[in-house]
Amino acid sequence: MKKGRKNIEIKMIYACVMLVFLIFLFVPLLKLMQQAFVENGSFTWSYFREILRESSFLKALKNSLLISFTCAFITTVLAFLLAYTIYYTNVPKIWKKLVNIIALLPMLLPTITYGFAIIYSFGKQGLLTRIFGHEVYMYGFPGLTLGYVIYTIPTAFMLIHNTMGYIDKKFGVVSKLMRDHPLANFQISVLRPLWGTLAASMIQSFFLSFTDFGIPASVGGKVNTIAGVLYQEMLGSIPDFNRGAVVAMVMLMPSIISIVILKWLERYNIRYNKISNIELEKNRVRDGVFMGISAGIMAAMLSIFAVIFVVPFVEEWPYRLNFTVEHFTAVFQDPNLLGVYTNSLFVAVLAAVFGVLISYGAALVTARSTLNEKLKSVIEGIALVINTIPGMVLGIAFLLTFTGTNFQGTFFILIICDIVHYFSTPYLMMKNSLLKMNASWETTAILMGDTWMKTIVRVVTPNALGTILEVFSYYFVNAMVTISAVIFLAGAHTMVITTKIKELQYYNKFNEVFVLSLLILAANIIAKYLFQWLAYKEKMK
Amino acid sequence: MLKLENITKSYDGVPILENMNLDIQDGEIVSILGPSGCGKTTLLNLILGITEADSGKIIYNGEDMTHLPMEKRGFNIVFQDYALFPNLNVYRNITYGLKNKPGISTKEEVEELIDLLGLREHLTKRIEQLSGGQKQRAALARTMVMKPKILLLDEPLSALDGVIKESIKDRIKTIAKEYHLTTIIVTHDPEEALTLSDRVMILNDGGIAQFGRPEEIIHQPKNAFVEKFILNQLRIKRNNIFTLFGETTAVEKNRKAVLVS
Repeated sequence: MKKGRKNIEIKMIYACVMLVFLIFLFVPLLKLMQQAFVENGSFTWSYFREILRESSFLKALKNSLLISFTCAFITTVLAFLLAYTIYYTNVPKIWKKLVNIIALLPMLLPTITYGFAIIYSFGKQGLLTRIFGHEVYMYGFPGLTLGYVIYTIPTAFMLIHNTMGYIDKKFGVVSKLMRDHPLANFQISVLRPLWGTLAASMIQSFFLSFTDFGIPASVGGKVNTIAGVLYQEMLGSIPDFNRGAVVAMVMLMPSIISIVILKWLERYNIRYNKISNIELEKNRVRDGVFMGISAGIMAAMLSIFAVIFVVPFVEEWPYRLNFTVEHFTAVFQDPNLLGVYTNSLFVAVLAAVFGVLISYGAALVTARSTLNEKLKSVIEGIALVINTIPGMVLGIAFLLTFTGTNFQGTFFILIICDIVHYFSTPYLMMKNSLLKMNASWETTAILMGDTWMKTIVRVVTPNALGTILEVFSYYFVNAMVTISAVIFLAGAHTMVITTKIKELQYYNKFNEVFVLSLLILAANIIAKYLFQWLAYKEKMK
Repeated sequence: MLKLENITKSYDGVPILENMNLDIQDGEIVSILGPSGCGKTTLLNLILGITEADSGKIIYNGEDMTHLPMEKRGFNIVFQDYALFPNLNVYRNITYGLKNKPGISTKEEVEELIDLLGLREHLTKRIEQLSGGQKQRAALARTMVMKPKILLLDEPLSALDGVIKESIKDRIKTIAKEYHLTTIIVTHDPEEALTLSDRVMILNDGGIAQFGRPEEIIHQPKNAFVEKFILNQLRIKRNNIFTLFGETTAVEKNRKAVLVS
């Protein structure tokens, strides 16, 4: 039977995908729960009770919640202003392009780098302190908030920018013709259609801040966060895996809640079929004001990053300020550091290659096969569950599960952790792209004598190439910058840049930190824009 | 000859086709006409082999095809949205099947098809550069290269406008006659069905309302459904056209006919 043949291949793909997630998602999560809830073979709340009674833990939890909320609010407002500048003002096109690029820039660097950049900008000898002659104390709350805001702006901006493009701009014209007050106009034609997305942006920003490890590791100072507590429990002076598992579960809770709310908010999203464009009214004052606002936001972001470009190029910050490339040559001559860089590239490339394969395979099953709907919904469920699991939690689950096995301290474990951790977005990108394709291709091709596999190779894959390239670059960039997913897994021989930066921090080797950060940035810029360009060319072809 | 015997098909307990019997002669153009949800696409899928009947038989030239998989039946289809492959140009779309079955059409036969369907000047174009009619012709050529025993066309004209429709109609007729090809067309448009085919099968409520030559259907509608939904529609169309051309007598004459019915 034709159906039988077709299903053999798709079932094999399905089985492979399931196997990967069984071993590298479900088993580790079960192991984590076991550590948190099982004592001497029976269920217990004792680890939970013990930790929840500690005031230091509660303090850290409170800090995390408070800072993450603050950041979520600030980020959403800023991202909204940037997106508004793009869609609702007549600032020059080139300016809009600039806003687009700079708002997404922080994605290309690890969070731990922003933290150090903040210190080097605002500290006693900081770049900005020296320029403005005034020191701002940044350790703790202010630095954490600023760091999280920078970290989450790209995500919030992308979300808002996306929806805003689809808002029917004619709402505003109609509202004006109906003689609405400008505020009422703004409310009905911009805020209302955007409501769900603004909430989603807040929640995403909250989730990212709450679970990030890089920023508190660098700029946290005496203010402890839940990510810091987790790190201490697992890799501190007295590691306690049971307590670590409990903290991880606590970190999981808000994540799960936020994803559930996000899922629920999805139904409030408006989806129009095409981007609506309408000529905006001339209004010099409006354009000027928003140009000023966006310039301010961008300048603030760039000024913090400036230090990354300055410090490694001078002899000895802040005392000898002559230009030099010696720090770069030193890194390149240090086989250890150079090895760390090639490790990072190696992990990122392989995570991208296999990440593409697994997300493409999973998407083929759900979008282009006649497999049972229940089996398909398992994949959807996996994508959803992964969305709720912070990188640190997954990392700990891996640590608990694979310590003592052959996987411990291998590149394989880093790569698979990256692949699982970042699976959701690539999967959805692939699925959407495959769903948009003509549903009759496979039938037509089979009638032309193709097997199912042949059709996938000859027709479906070439037409999905643009998305495949985008997914590749998504995996690559994220694998390059992630620290939370790999901090518990990188061994002596499998050190990647982000974990190395954490180590260099102990020795105050900040020149190296910034040089390595620039190397990450360079690789990511190349990967991102090269693949974007390739994908664009592919779509234009 | 294609023969359907007592075909029954239901989805989730809802019967779509019930005890359907049907004979289609070699080289005949048959249209399956009916409103949406009448089961015409299901019938097409059953003949093609995408879906299997709950009971009944599909026999082609004496051979039982009921359980034969789609690709072994030797029938072929042009889908409503053409399903052309955008990563390949027109020529490579047309010759797609030759990679799998190299000898199925000779070079000359392919060239002849290209000329017959007027695709010569479009061969190196990308799919999205083609107009709707050109896409339809390219898809038709691609299918014809496979030398189908039966050609199935799913709403071949619905995505096309005015003049193109008429020219594609002619091409389909030419192809069917030239290759003595059994052609089954699914459509919801009575005008299309009645002007394009040798016989028309009108489906309603999972059964055949009438199956006959176009003139039989026009002059001897078998039941109220054919009269009300098929003929009435054509009369209204005709009256509008007559009105446009100022031929009032015909309009008057037909208005009476409509009122009587």
